[in-house]
Amino acid sequence: MIRNTRTKRAVIASALITAGAMVLSTIPAQAAETTGVTATTIKLGISSPKSGAAGTAYKKVPGAMKAYFDYINANGGVNGRKITLVSHDDGYNVKRAATQTTKLVLNDQVFAIVGALGTATHRNAYKAANLAKNNVPSLFVNSGFSGFANKALYPTTFAGLPSYPMEAKVMAKFIKDNPVLAPQASFLIAQDDEFGVDGIAGFKEAGHKFSDNPILYPQGGLSSTIAEGALAKLAAAPGKPVLVLFGTTDTTATLLKAAEKLSLTTKFTFLAGSVGADATTLLALGVKATTVDGVITASFFPDAKDATDEYVKQFTAINTKYNKGVPFDNTVLQGMNSAMLTVQALRAAGKNLTRTGLMNAIDTKGSTFASAGLAPLNFSATSRVGYNGYWLGQLNAKGELKPFGGKLTLYTTDSTSGPVTASTFVRKSIPKNGIPNN
Amino acid sequence: MLKHSKSKHSKKIHSSIDSPRKRLFLFILGGWLLLILSNQVGEFSLYQGAFVATYAVGIASIILLTGYSGQLSLGHGALMAVGAYAGALTINSLQWHPVVALIMATLVAGLFGLLLGGAVARFSGPYLAGTTLALAIALPSLANQFPILGGEQGLAFDVGASPARFGDDFSPYKWFFWIATLAALIIIWFVANIAASRFGRTFRAMRDNPIAAQLCGVNVARQKVTAFAISSGVAGLSGGLLVMLITGVSPSVFPLSLSLLLLSGAVVTGLYNLKGVILGGLVLVAIPEIAESLVTRIGGSENVANSLPGFLVSALLILAVMFTPNGPEHIFKRKH
Amino acid sequence: MTQFFTAVLTSLSSGAIYALMSIALVLVWRSTRVVNFAQAGQAVLTTYIGYEVIQRTGSYWIALVAAIIGGAIIGAFIDRFFMRPIFKRVTSGPIVLIAPVVATLGLLGIIEAVIGVVWGLNNQSIEPPVSNAGFNVNGTVIAFSLFNAFVLGTVAIAMILLTLLFQKTNIGLALRASAYSPEISKLSGIRVDAVRTLGWAISGAAGGLAGMLYVPSTYLFPNAMDVLLVFGFIAAVIGGLESMVGAVVGAMVLGCAINFVATYISTALVFPTAFVVLILVLLVRPSGLFAGKKGRSA
Repeated sequence: MIRNTRTKRAVIASALITAGAMVLSTIPAQAAETTGVTATTIKLGISSPKSGAAGTAYKKVPGAMKAYFDYINANGGVNGRKITLVSHDDGYNVKRAATQTTKLVLNDQVFAIVGALGTATHRNAYKAANLAKNNVPSLFVNSGFSGFANKALYPTTFAGLPSYPMEAKVMAKFIKDNPVLAPQASFLIAQDDEFGVDGIAGFKEAGHKFSDNPILYPQGGLSSTIAEGALAKLAAAPGKPVLVLFGTTDTTATLLKAAEKLSLTTKFTFLAGSVGADATTLLALGVKATTVDGVITASFFPDAKDATDEYVKQFTAINTKYNKGVPFDNTVLQGMNSAMLTVQALRAAGKNLTRTGLMNAIDTKGSTFASAGLAPLNFSATSRVGYNGYWLGQLNAKGELKPFGGKLTLYTTDSTSGPVTASTFVRKSIPKNGIPNN
Repeated sequence: MLKHSKSKHSKKIHSSIDSPRKRLFLFILGGWLLLILSNQVGEFSLYQGAFVATYAVGIASIILLTGYSGQLSLGHGALMAVGAYAGALTINSLQWHPVVALIMATLVAGLFGLLLGGAVARFSGPYLAGTTLALAIALPSLANQFPILGGEQGLAFDVGASPARFGDDFSPYKWFFWIATLAALIIIWFVANIAASRFGRTFRAMRDNPIAAQLCGVNVARQKVTAFAISSGVAGLSGGLLVMLITGVSPSVFPLSLSLLLLSGAVVTGLYNLKGVILGGLVLVAIPEIAESLVTRIGGSENVANSLPGFLVSALLILAVMFTPNGPEHIFKRKH
Repeated sequence: MTQFFTAVLTSLSSGAIYALMSIALVLVWRSTRVVNFAQAGQAVLTTYIGYEVIQRTGSYWIALVAAIIGGAIIGAFIDRFFMRPIFKRVTSGPIVLIAPVVATLGLLGIIEAVIGVVWGLNNQSIEPPVSNAGFNVNGTVIAFSLFNAFVLGTVAIAMILLTLLFQKTNIGLALRASAYSPEISKLSGIRVDAVRTLGWAISGAAGGLAGMLYVPSTYLFPNAMDVLLVFGFIAAVIGGLESMVGAVVGAMVLGCAINFVATYISTALVFPTAFVVLILVLLVRPSGLFAGKKGRSA
């Protein structure tokens, strides 16, 4: 009898829930071309790691973007509209990125995603949040994954960084062209993930042959002992081999400290990928200044420590005022630059802002935008590749990045079989006060 | 609102689990109500609801293993990964229907569990815990060794658009929700049946007093392997559902923290009853959201913001162990 | 040959650190029947205390003492004010088997979150107290330094002290007795609760030592010891969980396996190697290498 009552109660309760849900439910508006835009505001969104291990390195990105948008808002906004940035933390977790990006689209109803950070995270989030079907632009993705430039797979993304294969190809060309480095043995130590795998593909594409199989290590799996073992083994090679490191900065630090321990700092020429050579971090992690001195790395930005650079100077000023207490570094530079590109894209799309209009504006005018990057922007009707080149620099004992050989040489290329060529590109100078006027 | 009523609802359904026919009826009723509900709530709620169902399946697999047969696994994330990859391969290489892929996810993970369980299920408490923990860190990094698994990039897991007969405005999230909810209902019904069967009684006897069970003629070793295999299969389904929701499978989807998260969910649910799995799933989905909105609300320094979600999950876990060690229903029920 | 020689030495020095974590886990397991996952948190917290002392005083040695004492206090505190109430509350149902384990997992999360709030998530580093430059053997610098020797020596001394404590003192007798049979110990007048807290304290001290010896060759961040905990636990299981000798042997086996695979096969196989070694050992001896006769089936 009691059980029957329970069953009855269950049915009644369920009916009540259903009724309640019907009353409370809000059926969201259909995704439209102008979602997130009002006469006075534009709502943008970003999902990026703010907590966890990756958060340590990249949490500054959304803050820097917001600082720049605040600066633009204080100077009248874009066509009279103020920009708000909704920032969600995904902790570099694929699952969180998928839900957070979906939330940006469905709940926060943002106009576009900007500066999404991370390859695996955004790759899944892009599909889970249905950005393609909803025609939501994903601007200037902070990832070197070459796929984001593929319009067929990701019809609404615009890559924000040069790709890892480009970087590897430029490095290969650099080694080949350098009479000291070219004849030496060369080795690759790479993280067993998209950095490493894309990097290996790039070197292969460039026809570069390493003297041994690449040493791949799992994320979090390169202990100092293993790094020492690996270096000790490579040290058997004659001459002064080139050691290419394709991983994160803490790994570069682990390897450099292993070299210090084994007195091998002068045995190798270290060539670190752009992701893995943040000098401030290297020094903070206890790598000796004398070891950092001479490490070669690739970059497409000016050095954030270079106070003579007009972009760095302007961004530093904005950072001091709108991003209080956050020291200016390469990550802040990257965030500000993405924000500046976004503002130009919004301006180029005109007063009647639509999602399609925004994407068309980047396709047609994106290559003319002013940017801190020293490599050209390659947006066009057929290309979603952002930057397409690198220059090689050498860190000094103070952790500043100076052009290799004293003269800055920019190499441009593509992610596939195209040649690597030295470029004479000169970037546009910064608009007055860093406020775009395109 | 939704959270509260849903959990109560599930409790009602399960509290009268006694006869198989009534149980089937109630599950069908529950499924019907959930499908009606799916027409009434926002898309994002549907998406989150699908995650709730996915976690509920994962938690059910842990309850089956730990609650019913007394084996502690710290590596269920690895078993989920097995199911997820099996499902993805089914879709990508064979182009079979996604539903078949989910069934394959369950079967392959179950088979894997059978083989693994054959080796490890006889290990007692901490030894099994250690082995499964090692598995959880070892297995995802192995995926990079086999090109067929797509390396770090992994494989796509695309269930495709909803069938045309549901109409054009049938959103992908509703489709996810339907698949995940129905899969969850079916598998939890299945697990509930096992728990109520002779099997389930044997499991419990084994858990409560292995020596007595052995004396009564229970083949403890074989039963443990069986429990491990079934639990693995259920975990595999959960893994398949998870990667369906995030549209792809790669090693980074299955960190060690996933295994521990599921265990937390199971403890919050109350380890030895199936009645609260949906509550457990809700908690796992809700906590990060609550943490994030708390951070936005109170501001707080960056360090606080970074550490709050972890803090909340951990605190809840400890509170659950301390105050409702046998599940939340003790709060609601006066007498057992 | 040098490569082999170096691999042996590095295996020993990484094995030594696993051994400390492994012993810390074994001590708690013996006295409380809990696999203490919070050990990673305790160890990293004490290392942060050491780090803080270094920032203030500039001395690694003072920091080392502070970390060991701090580790002991934290360990005792956790047992007295955290584990004991949980054991009191949770007394029935299947949850009893896993409640303590889950509680320590929760505690691990809390400790790491608190560290994140206080010190942030950035990597910090602790300078090695003695030279970390590799020794020069016949003109080749090998991956074994004075600091590695110091680590090995310190761990060896710690082992000897612990052995003396357990074998030669009344406290050690009480520790062993209450691990073997709490009920009988209680009847013979041993204050089992106090002895158990002491076990946690020694374990905490061992964890603190492990942190201070481990971090100088890597970095300090809230999750710094997580991998070490996993390896320490695997080593403890290999060794049979009950035995301190087993813990050390298990750690050395694991250290060798990992380093040799990394040196001679592939660095990508570090984690799978740990799993394979564990399962091979358990298949041959389901209760580990040095399991006691009683072999509890908890």
